[in-house]
Amino acid sequence: MKMSPEFIRAQRNMQPGEITADGFLGDDSRSLIDIIAADEAAMSDLDLAFDDCASQLEDLMEAGRRGLGEPVTIDATWRVKTDEARGVLPSPFEDGVFRKVNATIELVGDASATLRITALSLHLMKRYHFLQGLGAAFRIEPRMLKRVLKR
Amino acid sequence: MNTALLIAPLAISGLSAALAALISLTDKIVNNYGECIISVNGGKKELTVQGGSSMLATLAEQQIFIPSACGGRGSCGECKVKCTTDVGPHVPTEMPWMTPSDLKNNVHLSCQFKVKGDVGIEIPEYLFYVKRYKATVERITDLTHDIKEVYFKLPDGVSTNYKAGQYAQIEVPPYGKIKEPTQRAYSLSSTPNDPNHVEFMIRLVPGGIVTTYVHEHLKEGQKLDVIVPFGEFHVRDTSATMVCVAGGSGMAPFKSIFTTMVEDGSIDKRDVWYFFGARSVRDLFYVEWLSELDEKHERFHFIPALSEPEESDNWQGETGLITEVLDKYLVSDNLKDAEKEGYLCGSPGMLDACMAVMRKHDMEDERIYFDKFA
Repeated sequence: MKMSPEFIRAQRNMQPGEITADGFLGDDSRSLIDIIAADEAAMSDLDLAFDDCASQLEDLMEAGRRGLGEPVTIDATWRVKTDEARGVLPSPFEDGVFRKVNATIELVGDASATLRITALSLHLMKRYHFLQGLGAAFRIEPRMLKRVLKR
Repeated sequence: MNTALLIAPLAISGLSAALAALISLTDKIVNNYGECIISVNGGKKELTVQGGSSMLATLAEQQIFIPSACGGRGSCGECKVKCTTDVGPHVPTEMPWMTPSDLKNNVHLSCQFKVKGDVGIEIPEYLFYVKRYKATVERITDLTHDIKEVYFKLPDGVSTNYKAGQYAQIEVPPYGKIKEPTQRAYSLSSTPNDPNHVEFMIRLVPGGIVTTYVHEHLKEGQKLDVIVPFGEFHVRDTSATMVCVAGGSGMAPFKSIFTTMVEDGSIDKRDVWYFFGARSVRDLFYVEWLSELDEKHERFHFIPALSEPEESDNWQGETGLITEVLDKYLVSDNLKDAEKEGYLCGSPGMLDACMAVMRKHDMEDERIYFDKFA
């Protein structure tokens, strides 16, 4: 699929060393637009909406921030641990900057059901339906998303 | 036929060379802005420069270093300057960083506009004293499992002048997949009374370009560029009780501040309460030194607090989140009615939470200080 200049620039910004040490694409060799298209199909198959899921993740991350780095249990269902560093990261789409805050969300009693998200990854999910490349540190896998959010 | 085969590539090469020369010539003519004058802070400094480069780079050539964590790529938003003359409209890459007040006051990112003529700018006065040094790593110490202390020696004969609490920028070279030098800001933990050295506490941030380099590649004896000093976080010259709160590598400016206060004797002249939050004993450091200060200096109080001490820690001190401990002490007889100033250093989340607690106890925002780069 042909990519717009905005997406070509974003894919360049997603390479390791541009914004973060490891980048946003992991070991995925597909184009940005193909990654997004495949994840949109996967989310649709699982009956998941990007906006709804991103909002729920945002709420969990915000609740987790109250722990100041310590794990917080939310609704007896999720254990959320946030970590923050000083400074901000720009979006690879050059449409804003985001705090360096990340959260690990796991289902209580099932540590294998875990997601790692960041303030930036939620923006990319909500606005561009971009869940990051396969093997990326903050890849949001649709099946895992469904499991962790209990949808 | 052989001649034709030779002529074709030669002709193409010739044409390409001519085209490149034409482009280069056009660039020189069109983009030749000649000598320009930058008037800084209403003429306090008049710089005669060659136009054509970004304001950030042009000022750096003149040894004026505007804070820039991204090295001029427009991705950190720190290199703002107020322009007192017209430098054109804001470009799209600046807009994410511009507040309504910035737009109204003609503030621009200095990395995003070129010097094309005479121009006036306003910058904080302290930036006149910022210098760039090639510093040698003299010592690297593991403070905890994820914080390293790095002690740099400046070139022989050089001494830097900063206030305890200020910060510097460290630039690491390209490595691995990182193709460009990268700068990040860190609080100084050294004392200004050791002017030939600077020291930092650097916590490993997963995926962090500079912190990963420091933790996995930096060696003693190596040289790095250090740009120092920046920031307006320092002790205010009042008699108010200092309520200081930090976590993790947020200890850095307080090590600098307390060392300096011991050196100049001010530690015995005002009350200082230092709250340091960590998860368990393995995340604590400098406890012996701080406890010793607490014992030796009647007006200095060190309150370490663990949010999740392990059983083997055998912890006898305060427990709970640092905000809970702070909340408890701010209503104690020692602090309740005292005139207070807040000094904070840590993650943005911790700063927000501590600010909320301080406000709840009627501490004024204008008297709560923290690193601007947080």
